[in-house]
Amino acid sequence: MRKKVMALALTTAMAVSLAACGGGGQTAGTTAAPGTTAADNQGGDAQPAGDGSGLVYWSMWEATEPQGQAIQAAVEQFTADTGISVDLQFKGRTGIREGLQPALDAGTNIDLFDEDIDRVNTTWGQYLMDLEDLAKGADYEATANAGLIAACREVGGGTLKSIPYQPNVFAFFYNQSIFDEVGITAAPTTWAELDAACAKIKEAGYTPITCDDAYITCMFGYHMSRLVGEPKTEEIVKGGQWDDPSVIATAEAYADFASKGYFSDTIASNVWPAGQNQELAMGTAAMYLNGSWLPNEVKDMAGDDFVWGCFSYPAVEGGTDGVDAANYGAQVLAINKDSQNAENAFKLICYITQGEFDKMLSELSIGIPADSNNSEWPELIACVKPVMDSMTTRYPWAAGAEANADMTPIIKENFLKLCGGSMDAQGFVDALKKAGN
Amino acid sequence: MAKIKKHHEPVNWKKELRLAPGYIILLLWISFTFILLGWVLLASFSTTKEIFSNQLLASGPHFENYVKAWVNSDVAGIFRNSLIYSVISCILLILICAPAAYVLARFVFPGNKLIQTGFVSAMGVPVVMIVLPLFGIVANLGILNHVMSNAVLLIFLYIGINVPYTTIFLMTFFGNLSRAFEEAAAIDGCPPTKTFWLIMLPMAQPGIITVTIFNFINIWNEYFISLIFANSDQLRPIAVGLYSMINSMKYTGDWAGMFAAVVIVFLPTFILYLFLSEKIIAGVTGGGVKG
Amino acid sequence: MKRNRGMIILFLTPAVLMFSIIFLYPIIRTIIMSFFKIDGITDPVANWQFTGLSNFIRLANTSLFRISMWNLFRIWLIGGIIVMSLALLFAVVITSGIRFKSFFRAVIYLPNIVSAVALATMWLQYVYSPKFGLLKTVFTNLGLTSLAKVQWLDNDHKFLALLLAYCFGMVGYHMLIFASGIERISSDYFEAATLDGANKVNQFRYITLPLLKGVFKTNITMWSVTSVGFFVWSQLFSTVTADTQTITPMVYMYMQIFGAGNSITERNSGLGAAIGVLLSVCVVAVFWLCNHLLRDDDLEF
Repeated sequence: MRKKVMALALTTAMAVSLAACGGGGQTAGTTAAPGTTAADNQGGDAQPAGDGSGLVYWSMWEATEPQGQAIQAAVEQFTADTGISVDLQFKGRTGIREGLQPALDAGTNIDLFDEDIDRVNTTWGQYLMDLEDLAKGADYEATANAGLIAACREVGGGTLKSIPYQPNVFAFFYNQSIFDEVGITAAPTTWAELDAACAKIKEAGYTPITCDDAYITCMFGYHMSRLVGEPKTEEIVKGGQWDDPSVIATAEAYADFASKGYFSDTIASNVWPAGQNQELAMGTAAMYLNGSWLPNEVKDMAGDDFVWGCFSYPAVEGGTDGVDAANYGAQVLAINKDSQNAENAFKLICYITQGEFDKMLSELSIGIPADSNNSEWPELIACVKPVMDSMTTRYPWAAGAEANADMTPIIKENFLKLCGGSMDAQGFVDALKKAGN
Repeated sequence: MAKIKKHHEPVNWKKELRLAPGYIILLLWISFTFILLGWVLLASFSTTKEIFSNQLLASGPHFENYVKAWVNSDVAGIFRNSLIYSVISCILLILICAPAAYVLARFVFPGNKLIQTGFVSAMGVPVVMIVLPLFGIVANLGILNHVMSNAVLLIFLYIGINVPYTTIFLMTFFGNLSRAFEEAAAIDGCPPTKTFWLIMLPMAQPGIITVTIFNFINIWNEYFISLIFANSDQLRPIAVGLYSMINSMKYTGDWAGMFAAVVIVFLPTFILYLFLSEKIIAGVTGGGVKG
Repeated sequence: MKRNRGMIILFLTPAVLMFSIIFLYPIIRTIIMSFFKIDGITDPVANWQFTGLSNFIRLANTSLFRISMWNLFRIWLIGGIIVMSLALLFAVVITSGIRFKSFFRAVIYLPNIVSAVALATMWLQYVYSPKFGLLKTVFTNLGLTSLAKVQWLDNDHKFLALLLAYCFGMVGYHMLIFASGIERISSDYFEAATLDGANKVNQFRYITLPLLKGVFKTNITMWSVTSVGFFVWSQLFSTVTADTQTITPMVYMYMQIFGAGNSITERNSGLGAAIGVLLSVCVVAVFWLCNHLLRDDDLEF
C-alpha cells in the first residue's frame, strides 16, 4: 500500500516537474497568451467555466456576508432569466487582492471581478475592458449616480472602465442623542464650530471625539487637504516637505484640541475596533471620523435606539477646500479585457447594480444604493444622504495622508502621540522630518 | 487528585512533594491559559455588545452564534476535505522526509551541506514568493480545471511545501543515535535500508510524533495555498472555508459570531490532537522502544 | 561508504525531487527578481526593469524598513529568550515524572492551535483594555496603581504587548520539541545519576542539557524561521495600516507587493523579492551558526 502511494506521488511529481520546466521557460520568455490556455485545457463540462457561454465572476466578498448573499441572489435570478450559467467564486478580500493578478497573468478564464474603485482602476488598470459602448448600449447612466460614474471615468483615465456599486463616503459620524442633549442644533461646518461643539460635549461629561489606530491618519490627511487641497497634501507626504506651514498648522490645531481634552483618554492606545465599539457605540463618545460602513459595523453594540448623524469634515479658516470635498467612492465591477462574454457580463453587472438587487444589497448590508431610482436609503444611514449628495471633489483614501507607504506608520505613530497629548506640534513636525527616509 | 489513581502507581507522597515546585509552576501557567481561553469560549456564547462592555454572558448563553456559524457553511464537507488532505500529506511526508533526514544526518557525502542549506533557505523565503510564481506555471497546465487533479495537486503542494521543514526537524532525531546499532545490524547481515526501517526509524519516534502533530496542524490550518490553488468549492479545506466566515463576521461587526466560528474551527483540531498524540504515544511506549 | 551509496541516493531522491519541483524555480526567480523593478509578482519578464542593487540600497536607506528589521531582531532575541526558557522549563517539569502529564502537555500546547484572530482579539480587547482589562484588574487588586494605569497599547508599550501575546502562543510549540528531545534520553542515565547521588539540578545540567544540544539547534532554527515569517500577529495588532512598533519585514514586503492599507501606493515586487532574499540569508546564517556553536557529533546515545 505504501509503495503504491509513493509510486503515485512520484509519478505526479515527475509529470508536474516535466511540465513545469517547459511551462517555466515559456512564461519567462514571452508575454504568454492570456485568455487562451485555460479555455483550451477545459475538460468537457466539468465546470461551467470556459464552455463559451458561461460567465466566471470572482468576487471580493465572502459567501456569508450580506453583500455576498445579495450578489448570489442577483446571479441566480440572472441565470434563471437568461439561461446563462455563472461560476461565482467568493474569493474574499485576500483572495482577490493577492490572487486576482496572478490568475489574470496566467490567463485564467475570469470574465468579471470586483474590488475597490481605486485598486481596480489603478493597480489592475491594464486588465480592464473599456465599458463606454456597453454602458451606452444599455443606457446605464440614466439611473446611475453621476458623481460616482464621473469618479470612475477620472480614475479610469478619462474613460469608463468600471461600474460602481456599494458607494461609501468618509465623514464624521456622531451620536445624535448626545448632540441633542448638550444643545447642538446644527452640525459643525467650520473648525471653530467644531471647537464650540466639542466644548459643549466635554462640558456635559462626554468624550467629544474618539478614533482607532486604523483611521487616525485620516484626520491628519483631511485637515491638511482642507488647508492646502489634496494634491498638495499628497505632494508633501510623498516628497517629505514637512517644513510646509500646513503641516505645523494641522499639528497645532490637533494639539490645541488635545490640550482642551477633546479626544478620548485612550485615543493613543485604541486598537481597532476599541474606539468605535467600546466608546462610540456604547454612547460615551460623540464623534468618529469614518466611512459610511460604520453604522453597520457597530449596530449590534449601538442598539436600535441609536440615532446617527453625519457631517463632512469641517472647513478650516484660510483653507482651500470646503465641506464639499471628501473621500467618496465605491466598490466597482469590471470586465476582463480578454473576456469573450463581455455583453453577458455587462448584463450581469446591470442585475447586480440596478433595481431590485441593488436595493437588496443596500438593505442587507445597510449600505448606500447605487441606482438613483432606489432613493430610499436604509434608515441607519439616511443621515449620510445630504452629505453624499453635496460632494463635488473627490479625495483618495485618507485624503492623501497614506500616499507614501514608507511614511504612513510614522505619521500614524506621531499623530497618535499628538492626539494623546504626549507630543506637541513642533515635536510632531520634527519627528516626521527626522524619519525622512 | 486521587481520582485517577487507578491509572498510576500508588501515590508516593515523598516523590510528589519533591515535584511540588513543578506542579506549582504548571498550575500557575495553566490557570492563566484557562482564563484567557475561557474568555474566548464565554465570548462565543455572549452578544457582541457584552464582549465590548465586559459583561460576558450577562444575558445568558447565546447558542444562536453557533447556529449562525454552522448553517452558513458546509461544515461537514470542509472537515472531510481537511481530514483527507492532512492525513495523506502527513503519512507521505514521513515516508519521504525520514529517510532523507536519516542520510543527511548520518552520512558524509558530497552535496550534503548543499542540500541542507537549500532546505533551510527555502524555509526563509516568504511563502507568497513561492506560491504565486508556482501558480503562474500550474494554471497554464490545466490541472486546476478538474476536481480530481486539482485535489492531487493540493496534496502534492502541501507535501512539497513541508518537505524542508520536516526533513530539517527530523535530522536532530537521527543525529546522535549510537553507531553501535547500525554496526550490530551490519554484522548480522542486515542491509542498511532494512536497518533504517526496522531499527533506526523506531528510535526517532518521539521526533516523528512531534513533527507529525505539527505537520497535521500546519496543513489543517493552511490558508494561502488552498486559497490560491483550490479552484472549486468542493475542494475547500477548513481554513479557507471557516476563516472566510471569521473574516466576514469581523467585517460586519458580528464579533460574537466570530468567536463561535473560531471555536468551531478549534474544537475538532484539539480533539484530533489529543486523539492522535495519545494514540501514537501509546503505540510507541507499548512497543517498548527506548532511545 | 560504497555499500551505502545506493541507499543515500534512494533515500534522498524523493525529498530532493519534491524540493526541486516546489522550491527551485520560485527561489531562483525570487533571487533574480530582487535585481529588478517589477510591479506585480507574476508580471511577465518583458515588463521587468533591471535596476542592479538599487532595491537593496533603497531598503538600507528606508527608515521604515530599518525599523522593521529592528523589530524583527527584538522579537527574535527577546522573544526567543522568553520562549526558550519557558518551553525548556515546562518540558523538564513535564518529563520529571509528574502526574497528569498528557493533560498538562495538551493544555500548554493549546494556545498554539487556537486561531490567531481570536487570540489577538482577546488580548487587544480584553487583557490590555485600559477600561476593564485583565491586567488593569489584576494590578488594581494588587494595589499597584501606577501599573494599573499603563495603557498597554500606546506606542511605548505596544511592542511589549505584542511580544507577550505572541510568546504566550509559541511556548507550547517549543515545549513539545524539547519534551520529545528529553523523552528520547534513556531513563538509565537518570537512574544511574540518582544512584550516584546527583540531585535534579545537577542531572539537568550534566545530563539533560548536553544531550539536548541537537534539540536546541532545531528549536532555534524553527524559532528563527517563524520569527522571520512574523506577519499575522503584526497585522492583527495594527489593522489596515502598519505600525512602527509592530511592523516586520514581512509586513513591509506585503506592502510593497500588494499595496499598503486602503490607499493605492506604489508597488514593487522586486523590492519584496529583495526582502525575501535578505530574510532567507538571515535564516541560513542562524542555522550555520547553530551548527558550528552547538556541535553534538561527539555525543551518542
